[in-house]
Amino acid sequence: MSDDVADVLRRLAVVFADFEGRLEATPLIRRLTRGRFTLDDYRAFLIGLRQQVKDGALWMSRAASNIGEDHLELRSTLMRHAVTEHRDFRLLDADYVATGGARETIETAPKNIGSEALSAWMFHEASKPDPFGLLGAMWIVEGLGSIKAAEWGALVRDRLGLPEEAVRFLLYHGENDADHIQEFEAMLGLVLPDPAVAARIVRTAEVTARLYALQIEEIVA
Amino acid sequence: MSVLRDAFITGAGAFLPGPPVGVDRMEDHLGRIGGRDSLLGRRALRWNGVETRHYALDTDGRPMASNAGMCAEAVRGALEAAGLGRGDLRFLATATTQGDYLVPGHAAAVHGELGGGPLEIASFQSVCGSSLMAAKSAWLQVRAGEHEVVAACAGEFSSRWFRPEFYEGTALVDAKGRLRAEADYLRFTLSDGAGAVVMEPRPRPEGLSLKVRFIDLVSLAGRFDPCMWAGAAVEDRADPLATWSHAGPAAAHAAGAVALLQDFELLKRVIRAWVGVYLEKVDRGRIRPAEVDHLLCHYSARSLREEIVGLLEKTAGMIPEEKWFSNLATVGNVGSASIWVMLDAFLKSGRLKRGETVLCVVPESGRAFVGFMLLEAV
Repeated sequence: MSDDVADVLRRLAVVFADFEGRLEATPLIRRLTRGRFTLDDYRAFLIGLRQQVKDGALWMSRAASNIGEDHLELRSTLMRHAVTEHRDFRLLDADYVATGGARETIETAPKNIGSEALSAWMFHEASKPDPFGLLGAMWIVEGLGSIKAAEWGALVRDRLGLPEEAVRFLLYHGENDADHIQEFEAMLGLVLPDPAVAARIVRTAEVTARLYALQIEEIVA
Repeated sequence: MSVLRDAFITGAGAFLPGPPVGVDRMEDHLGRIGGRDSLLGRRALRWNGVETRHYALDTDGRPMASNAGMCAEAVRGALEAAGLGRGDLRFLATATTQGDYLVPGHAAAVHGELGGGPLEIASFQSVCGSSLMAAKSAWLQVRAGEHEVVAACAGEFSSRWFRPEFYEGTALVDAKGRLRAEADYLRFTLSDGAGAVVMEPRPRPEGLSLKVRFIDLVSLAGRFDPCMWAGAAVEDRADPLATWSHAGPAAAHAAGAVALLQDFELLKRVIRAWVGVYLEKVDRGRIRPAEVDHLLCHYSARSLREEIVGLLEKTAGMIPEEKWFSNLATVGNVGSASIWVMLDAFLKSGRLKRGETVLCVVPESGRAFVGFMLLEAV
């Protein structure tokens, strides 16, 4: 492993730790960790998460289409990611219905202010040529999947006494993304060393983390 | 304007009460809840890796020393190691999780036990990290030119809090007589003792001294709820108005608020937050892992989970395990006193050579706090 990759990973780890602390202090997660989370909170949470999950595969596809011929391996990786994830929001919908919510409600719910900002930012970045900074966005979004989702899922299930089939999206993500650091390291190796790219990856992670936290802050049951 | 001075640790001392107590004898000292062995104890011990520890309670539950008394012994030991005596001491900063008294501060009690004439004192109360809060105070006293001989000490008498009377008849024990995991885990984790260091503005004439390069303390309490605490029940712990004194001591005890408690779910997140603070120090060049010759961490390498070690390795933040010095397995987790008890054993081990650096890391789960102290042998 090169020093360049280790340096970027370290800065990304610092961004993620700050992000986690910020999430911890959002009203919704406070209710979850302080045992005051309700079924309405969970439904609002699923609606909030759905926006980015649904858009995720789309901005990843767009980013892949903007990656030049010098980085075909990275293009392949992003396309594979997009294929793997582009139906995930259906699982989220199914969880919502399993809690007794109406499918139409989650399918038609508008984005909150944070989701609007996050989505606009992702597509904007993905529309640039060779949008390698988005690796930083993937670090944040996939870190949520591998580190936070299962933790939140277990808390939701235990606090609300829900059956597994109502919490599959959160629980399932934790199980599937355990190797994400290894995979991510390999992706960084495809674009580094390059100081400008390294700086852009970290900056994109910072902005994505802030906007993601805003999305969670704006979730109101 | 006068210039800040350097400050050096010129002596360290430790006091561990009684003989080492093995795993099978722990509840002989602490007592058994409802007369039965703990079910959780074995699991806690596997996780924390402690084999023997010391208790200031004998097997009949009688105290052999006070917290303040143990601190005074450690201060005497540190002064002696520095080639000084009580009469030389001008400033004393103390640290503890729970002093013998609620009021006044622990430093007054330690001075009382230490005896002698006037001293400037400062009391620091938190959990493990209070040790470095006191050390920073002592260090700055020397740096600012206020005093020539200062001491920072830390002591714990945790076992008092682990006796059955703290739990029996409270909401912490269920109908089947089982103690809540939040409480039982700590009974098998923390033990008693004290440690101290003496600092001066110049190295001792003979032998090694430790120049304090920096002491950095970081609290993340603005984002994290209490993770290890006493004085509030599990459910209401984030609300300062729900703490013990509002209900009164008897009602608070019944509610399970008068006990040391730990939230394990939150602890996992707090560990990641500590690692984040550490990696930020590495990233800024404040800590350079390759230049650290010895690491004294108040946390065992083996209790860090695999993914944390993996993250540290991939981010070039890991300090190889052969550089870690720890006596946690034999002296136990003595809370705030641990870092000084560890430093005292490290200095006596003969491993340290002139010019080498020693990084002390003291994470505190209390409310997401972590402290770092970098020392250089001169």
